[in-house]
Amino acid sequence: MGSEREIAVDYLARVEGEGAMYLRLRGDEVLDLKFKIFEPPRFFEAFLRGRKFWEVPDITARICGICPIAYQTSSCNAMEHAAGVDLDGQLRALRRLIYCGEWIESHGLHIFFLHAPDFLGYQSAIDMAGDHLEQVQTGLRLKKMGNTLMTLLGGREIHPVNIRVGGFYRVPTKAALQDLVPELEWALGAAIDTTRWVAGLDFPEFERDYEFVALRHPDEYAIASGRIASNRGLDIAVEEWPEHFEESHVEWSNALHARLKTGGSYHVGPMARYSLNSEQLTPAARRAAADAGLGAQCTNPFQSIIVRAVELVFACEETLRLIGQYEPPPAPYVEVAPEGNTGHGASEAPRGILYHRYSVDDDGLITDAQIVPPTSQNQLSIEEDLRSYVVGRAHLPDDDLQWQLEQAIRNYDPCISCATHFLDLTVDRE
Amino acid sequence: MKRLVIGLGNPFRGDDAAGLEVAGRVRSSPAIQNMTGSYELIDLWSGSDEVIIVDATHSNSPAGTIHRFDPRRRPLPAGTFASTHAIGVAETIELARRLDRLPDQLSVYGIEAGSFARGTDISPAVAHAIELVAEEIDDA
Repeated sequence: MGSEREIAVDYLARVEGEGAMYLRLRGDEVLDLKFKIFEPPRFFEAFLRGRKFWEVPDITARICGICPIAYQTSSCNAMEHAAGVDLDGQLRALRRLIYCGEWIESHGLHIFFLHAPDFLGYQSAIDMAGDHLEQVQTGLRLKKMGNTLMTLLGGREIHPVNIRVGGFYRVPTKAALQDLVPELEWALGAAIDTTRWVAGLDFPEFERDYEFVALRHPDEYAIASGRIASNRGLDIAVEEWPEHFEESHVEWSNALHARLKTGGSYHVGPMARYSLNSEQLTPAARRAAADAGLGAQCTNPFQSIIVRAVELVFACEETLRLIGQYEPPPAPYVEVAPEGNTGHGASEAPRGILYHRYSVDDDGLITDAQIVPPTSQNQLSIEEDLRSYVVGRAHLPDDDLQWQLEQAIRNYDPCISCATHFLDLTVDRE
Repeated sequence: MKRLVIGLGNPFRGDDAAGLEVAGRVRSSPAIQNMTGSYELIDLWSGSDEVIIVDATHSNSPAGTIHRFDPRRRPLPAGTFASTHAIGVAETIELARRLDRLPDQLSVYGIEAGSFARGTDISPAVAHAIELVAEEIDDA
């Protein structure tokens, strides 16, 4: 029996929000492993009760500064579902368009500033900039492109104010969108180059047999609407979520752990979307994936950085397509009356499925709310990755093991601020 | 000479609002209030020759203490300016230095906070420092 050792990271870097990791080992054996979310609870579900249904996109946007569009879209989807309204035509296209802006901004941030330094051995993007100036500049410019799109459609890039249940307060002119085309064409080329760059990084040999869960839509790479599907045969409408998934509390985390009622952990996010829907990617994104050596599925979580880059290509190409076919809709929104009903909504946040459910009384006031962010759905999968990753690598010095385990967490681009209702690393070796 | 004032902070965390309050008082040049103090600062100040940043600090000095920094000469002290976002103002300035995107003139005022408690109350010593810094910027 070897001696026990402990690796503790009290405050994880390059993640959104506050979390920690604790690992206690005896030789190769993991005695205890916890991915801890200690950011304080947010109580959004509680204080939404008693608010008017139309306030929900503005309130829930405040949950996250990186993915406010996801919160706004899922909440609007839920209210529209409660009212029996389906957005169509240009309003539906505009919702997909602003969501593409959020994917560009969020994936740009994660690839260049949060994840690439892990692979290249830098503590931060600032250290990385010394040797990889061009990439850091590209990352900033891509992020700005996403922000510009979000600002044009949403009024501002952080916590946009122009999204309402049923559509928008104001829709853009064709000319304003056309003005973005030259920079978007640059962004598309930059995203293709980025895919080539990240595909050349060194990846640990590590595969897992995940149950991937993502939205699926018959006509498009699903973002803002679709059915919930998995690679193991799940295919349900969004309103069936409560019948198939459950949340539970564990004492070491302020984020609820979500699991499948039929069995355990599942994986949401870019790898799940790609593995379920890659055939629906746009042509340049499919070519970029093939050139990067990705197969029909991606099961090495460290390669999620390649999948994010492929999705960046997709988002730029899809944005150009949506702008090319844009005609201002006759009205910026449709009336939505969810009074007396319960609605379920989901969309694909950059980090994975974001599910919302609301009940609205006859006066239009919210009586009950449930919000299940992607990071809480991925917590179990993250812990299982860490546990599996240690096997055969326990001989590594603490510093190396800690670095690789932190990287394994950042594979998920966890958004701790969103998940709390979480990152420091501790490894104990006995 | 194009001058820009950028006030940073969170209006709902007590004295953290100090930078925002200064930006709201400055009359002598355009002033922006920004709540994240992250990467976007580099875009915000591009095109300006002289940039003045005002933010709250926590350095164990008495509340209301005014700190003055010239980040073109040396990096901001570690741990003095805090951010809960991906990177903060000190890191953003270092990133801009690597990218050769610092403005020609850059100064940073830090106003020492007494409390970062939730709410919109600003301590009297910090309120006084806000007035002093706004006047100093306008008189410069």
